[in-house]
Amino acid sequence: MVVSLISIILLAPLAAFVIFALLGLAKRSFPRQDLLSTLAMLVALGCSLYLIKEIVPKPDPHTVEWISLGNITLSMGFYLDSVTVIMLIVVTLVSSLVHIFSIGYMHGDPRYPRFFAYLSLFSFSMLFLVVSDNLLGIYIGWELVGLCSYLLIGFWFEKDSAANACKKAFLTTRVGDVGMFIGMMMLFTKFNTLSLYDGAQEGIFTQAAAQLTTGDMVWLSIAGILIFCGAIGKSAQMPLHTWLPDAMEGPTPVSALIHAATMVAAGVYLTARMFPILTATSSLVIAYVGGITAIVAATIAIVRFDIKRVLAYSTISQLGYMMLAIGAGSYVAGLFHLTTHAFFKALLFLGSGSVIHAFHAMHAHHDEDHTDEAAHEHDNHGLVHEHGSEIPPDQDMRNMGGLRKKMPITFITMLIATLSISGVPFIFSGFWSKDKILGGVLGRAMEWNSGHHYILFVIALCAAGITAFYMFRLIFMTFFGEPRNQEMHNMAHESPWTMTVPLIVLAALSFPAVNHLWFNKNNFKPPDQPHIQAPQHAYVSPDTKIAFSLFGLSEAEAAEEEGGKDTEQADKAHHAHEVAHNIAMVLSIIVAGLGILLSWLFYHRRRFSAESVATTFRPAYNLFWNKYYFDEFYDGVLVALTVWKSRLFAKFDLSIIDGIVNGVATITRKIFAAFIGFFDNRIVDGIVNRVAEVTWAAGGRIRRIQTGAIQTYLFVVLGGIVLIILIFRAL
Amino acid sequence: MSLQHYLVISSILFTLGIFAVLTRRNAISILMGIELILNSCNLNFAAFSRFVTPPENIDGQIIAIFGIVLAAAEAAVFLAIILAIYREFGSIRPDEVDTLKG
Repeated sequence: MVVSLISIILLAPLAAFVIFALLGLAKRSFPRQDLLSTLAMLVALGCSLYLIKEIVPKPDPHTVEWISLGNITLSMGFYLDSVTVIMLIVVTLVSSLVHIFSIGYMHGDPRYPRFFAYLSLFSFSMLFLVVSDNLLGIYIGWELVGLCSYLLIGFWFEKDSAANACKKAFLTTRVGDVGMFIGMMMLFTKFNTLSLYDGAQEGIFTQAAAQLTTGDMVWLSIAGILIFCGAIGKSAQMPLHTWLPDAMEGPTPVSALIHAATMVAAGVYLTARMFPILTATSSLVIAYVGGITAIVAATIAIVRFDIKRVLAYSTISQLGYMMLAIGAGSYVAGLFHLTTHAFFKALLFLGSGSVIHAFHAMHAHHDEDHTDEAAHEHDNHGLVHEHGSEIPPDQDMRNMGGLRKKMPITFITMLIATLSISGVPFIFSGFWSKDKILGGVLGRAMEWNSGHHYILFVIALCAAGITAFYMFRLIFMTFFGEPRNQEMHNMAHESPWTMTVPLIVLAALSFPAVNHLWFNKNNFKPPDQPHIQAPQHAYVSPDTKIAFSLFGLSEAEAAEEEGGKDTEQADKAHHAHEVAHNIAMVLSIIVAGLGILLSWLFYHRRRFSAESVATTFRPAYNLFWNKYYFDEFYDGVLVALTVWKSRLFAKFDLSIIDGIVNGVATITRKIFAAFIGFFDNRIVDGIVNRVAEVTWAAGGRIRRIQTGAIQTYLFVVLGGIVLIILIFRAL
Repeated sequence: MSLQHYLVISSILFTLGIFAVLTRRNAISILMGIELILNSCNLNFAAFSRFVTPPENIDGQIIAIFGIVLAAAEAAVFLAIILAIYREFGSIRPDEVDTLKG
């Protein structure tokens, strides 16, 4: 049953894609192809929802042997647990809604069927990634979603900026993927399998847990960090985050599906999957990368004016949060935030798409996108930079304002998503997931008495405040106040129902009830982390340290979930987390309120001027505006270095290699060829010519005999006969 | 009349024929020379048949008649060739028919 359901989930979008591809090859089309792929996604969604019932506490993988080479066996299979089902539902749900949204948004595009073909292929790839029970399958899905991302970012490839952005996305994520592949190979070398769980053979996690006593786990840390490199690239973490803002060149539904809800969350999913083999070191690296990403991306988002770029940096920041959660051991919190974020960020992107669509109506659909290429012409080195002048007018928040009356549904749904992402307490899902992360980080800090985690908690708290600030900045600039561009404002209108219905559904999902159903304590238990031990200076009493070390923090959380064990350490851990969650909740409400208040004062009441603050803190503003000079750094160092290196090699090629080749050519021509030419001309030709000349000369002489006069011949014949007669007479 | 007389006459005819063939520039005259040579041969055949072989053996005389027939046929073919040559070259002098000469 499970296998067939998963097969349907996988095959439905794949079949839609194959049909599209075959039709495309045959240069045919039938009306309403979009409904086919939408239907395929809805089927997959239905199956995913049905799968909720099928989860068993100890799931078994469905594995088949794929490749067998000597003693190496690679298997392919499905693995179904709570995480898989959550991801399946998130992917199919968001994908279905984005399909429906796209019917309205992409209407009239010349490559309309191709768009849905790509969406179907992406959905298949993402689902394949999610259900795979081994690293190889995950890697295959991983690369496939990367490909789809590339195709969809470059969907309007007539635009130079889009063409550059898709290349940049592909290459940048590839940097991380190399690390991930090395990490996979390390695990494979060590364990001789890529299966994560027990199947026909021992999986990685079982074997890794069995090696607990062998002491030095440095290599495991390195493997974990390397695999996390893949997640850094895919989830746009520092320092490989630069591709995600540029990826906004793609159509907005793509931004919502791939670059907000699903593909970028694949990095978080992978990190969560690798949770059982994370060591203390790799966890800390993950937590720091996530934390730094969260705050850096948030600060960049403050000063952006392109509505999609704000959301892109917000996505990077929120993904950083999830990484931080998993790095700090708050497995459930990370995945919880992944789910809530998928819904509210998809909603924000689709909402922004709705706004852009409203402005777009004043132009022929997307045509102006294709004609304003001149604005993008100075993108040298293939990298796209965001400068004020390059923001398309329909995405520039400085052209918006006062839209709440024009687009009531878009406004209300986006406001709900914004309240959710800002962490407005109690009735919005984002508050709960964010609070769980903050509480988890602070809990670990208190429990381990770890300075690192205190620092990370402060970072996360600041990022939460900034998030509230810039999200409300977006809302105030877009929907409140007076229209800044009256001409565009007059053209704006509410979107058709295919676009508003997904917004409403996603808005409903931004309330906690739906999500909370899943992340309750019985359904969702984090796996053990056998390689993480509480540090020596933790306040855990010495006699319980061994027990603690065996189960790590997860034991503490398990204890918390089961209502407290009798052991002292569990009580203390429980207490620490209880206290931490309360503190975190209060603090997060305060910073969120502060952020919203400041945003209100700045952008609604105009009590303070953002410009004057920017002037006062000029260096900081410049830093944020230029995105911490990451693009400039890559341009100036990596790209320049590559160009310099290429020039060097070109020079080497031109002078040394070509020199050798030319030198050999010269030697051959001047010496060998000359000698052989001499031999041919003089000796071979000489013999032939001499023979010919001799024959010629001989012929010239002998031909004189043949006069051609018949009587001469007769005379000779007669003379001959007479001669013969005379000779015979003489004998 | 003995065999010698015939042979002498035959020799004179043959020599005249050879002379004509070697010296004439006209193809018709050459043909007439050839006819003389042929007829000298026929005369020899007939003479030898009469004086040398037994009377009942007339092979020589038959060959002489064959020779006359042959000469007639040959003359016909020769004259036809000469006509064709005349049409082509406007001349019947063999030394002027020299297009095969290199």
